[in-house]
Amino acid sequence: MLRAAWPILLLFALWEAAVVGLAIDPFYLPSIRVVAAALQAQAPFYLDAYLVTLSEAALGFAMGGLVGVASALLFTRLPAVKDMVLPIFIVSQTVPVIAFGAIVVLWFGNTLMAKAAIAFYLTFFPVTINTLAGMAAVDPRQVALLRSFGAGQWVVIRKLLLPAALPRIFTALRLSASLALAGAIVGEWFGATRGVGAMLLAAMFNEQIVSLWASILVAAAVGGTLFAAVALVERAMVSWREEL
Amino acid sequence: MNAGVVLRGLLGAALLIGGWELSVWALALPQWILPPPSGILATTWTVRAALLPAAAMTAYQALSGYAIGAVLGVALAMLLALAAPLRAMLLPMVVAVNSVPVAAYAPLALLWFGTGALSKIIMVAFIVGFTVFLNALDGLTRVDPAAVSLLRSFGAGRLRVLWVLRLPSAMPAIATGMRISTVRAMIVTLVTEMLGSQLGLGWTIFQAVLMIDFLQVWAAILVASVISLVFFGVVSAIERRVVFWR
Amino acid sequence: MKLSVRGVAKNFGAVRALDRVDLDIAPGEFVTLIGPSGCGKSTLFNMLAGLAEPDPGGTILLDGRAGALLGRTAFMPQRDLLLPWRNVLDNALLPCEIERLPRAQSRARAEKMAVDFGLRGFEKHFPQQLSGGMRQRVALMRTFMFERDLMLLDEPFGALDALTRSMMQRWLLDIWERYRRTILFITHDIDEAIFLADRVLVMSARPGTIKLDRRIALPRPRDAHLLTAPEFTAIKRELLDAVEEESLKSFSA
Repeated sequence: MLRAAWPILLLFALWEAAVVGLAIDPFYLPSIRVVAAALQAQAPFYLDAYLVTLSEAALGFAMGGLVGVASALLFTRLPAVKDMVLPIFIVSQTVPVIAFGAIVVLWFGNTLMAKAAIAFYLTFFPVTINTLAGMAAVDPRQVALLRSFGAGQWVVIRKLLLPAALPRIFTALRLSASLALAGAIVGEWFGATRGVGAMLLAAMFNEQIVSLWASILVAAAVGGTLFAAVALVERAMVSWREEL
Repeated sequence: MNAGVVLRGLLGAALLIGGWELSVWALALPQWILPPPSGILATTWTVRAALLPAAAMTAYQALSGYAIGAVLGVALAMLLALAAPLRAMLLPMVVAVNSVPVAAYAPLALLWFGTGALSKIIMVAFIVGFTVFLNALDGLTRVDPAAVSLLRSFGAGRLRVLWVLRLPSAMPAIATGMRISTVRAMIVTLVTEMLGSQLGLGWTIFQAVLMIDFLQVWAAILVASVISLVFFGVVSAIERRVVFWR
Repeated sequence: MKLSVRGVAKNFGAVRALDRVDLDIAPGEFVTLIGPSGCGKSTLFNMLAGLAEPDPGGTILLDGRAGALLGRTAFMPQRDLLLPWRNVLDNALLPCEIERLPRAQSRARAEKMAVDFGLRGFEKHFPQQLSGGMRQRVALMRTFMFERDLMLLDEPFGALDALTRSMMQRWLLDIWERYRRTILFITHDIDEAIFLADRVLVMSARPGTIKLDRRIALPRPRDAHLLTAPEFTAIKRELLDAVEEESLKSFSA
């Protein structure tokens, strides 16, 4: 935790130094003290925004991660299905998914589910693809070795393929955390009244730079929370992996 | 890539589109839930006169930002690869700034740079720059130390080692970064356009939502997807030729 | 080109890798170096190549000159380290590029040398397309293209199978006769050490020092039959004893 803190503190220090030293117009970059003051003054609103966006992103992200890994396992069991579906997955990664935001909000209404759905969609595909890639990268001779001991498909997956794929899964999860958060924020732009995205939009329309920067910091806090969650799960998984 | 895999892939795609078309007709889904693929294609054709300029603007913004971002990303990575203390200081800060999703910076960009092309180009340069920078730096620093020693034994200085060894060695990583960035460039362009623009596919989508014209929304998404795919395909093809030794 | 090493030692923290190495190599000699694993052979090479500094008190003189050794010897490490994005010729030209020699002349020289090194027709090939033996030959050619009088070869044939290795040994002697550079050659293989050398140096276990310096007075050109000749076997027995003793020390350490 502490190690993560010092670059942020350094960044804030540089921010303040730049604002004061270079006399930057507060329209571009207000002093960090002013932003901090705003956060403090409107703390309940910013906290609410933090929690709302966090729940949207976290829900979609968690579901996307689980379904992603499960899909990868399913595809490994049923390679014919994988061949049919994987190209669609890969193409869907190039489709600018966020453009669907409006449609998703239409389907689910202006609810938590809508933003969570966008976050889910953005998480699900990279996790599936990366899990599959991680499992495919295992030396086939190791698989053959396990088979020679009489291991069935599921045992091979549980004891060899899945643990071997863990590093790539977590890389994908870290990537997806950012994507899930982006999805939640953009989803909020289609009519939400609460959440970081909503606050960003309101600040933009009212040309409130201080509020804008405060919202960006809250967004960073949500992102940081998600990354911390991934790091925690990763540490738990590593000990599980060693037990296998 | 054997024939069986390709066929199954095509079958999957066909099933998806066919199933989509059928379920729309069979369930008589209203347009605002899900239009049929045939309807989307038809609309794309009929409104092509309006979509084309929007597509051109979006593509222009994405490509410009991409080019600028890629160059800056590689340049910054090369600088930090040469100067270890600078790297130790700057890298954690870069990662911290990147923990905010790029989309969240869009309102800021619009306030600072207006609703014209500039704000979009800068946003795209930002995200492409970050992605390419991180990938390039990883590739430039992840070089076999034995190879560096060999070059030093020939009398090569740091700059020479960078040019002859590190940079080519980093090409696969840079190429991966550039490939991933194509899609991100398009997404960021669309997102920023949605918030504020005079012309562009993102703006078209936003307007179409307001006018409750969902066929137009899907048509714009289709065009944006096609541009995205083509962009991705072109960069991948170039990558395969340049990084031929992988 | 005369190499003179005096009192060279190297400590890595608490570990004493090399302890007072003294050796002299005359111009044009082919000297092999054998010793147990971890005896400091590669450390010595790194210092001769200028990649590491001897501890204070040790001197290395090339042609009577001390000081910056980087770029004064032609160094070939254990792995071929061929760059996968360069073809055979460009890989061989790498040191010349770094030296900023005129391109056209270097290229012409490389094309001629490629014939000697059995690489004719493969100049435009890429390393991935070559066999292990050929890759080693390209790496050797690269080392020869760097025209320095002293060549340091660190187990260049270690990764090759026995048949390829014996072919490469005979071919290397051929090249050496032709180009007459001074060669210092590390190997694990006693047969190889004797077969190739004018002198064999046996290094002790860590901390490494030169334990034995044996002149090999066998006639040149060296013939494959030499490997089973009585003179060869006598020398081999002598060296084996010396090496065994040191190997046991480092094995039980």
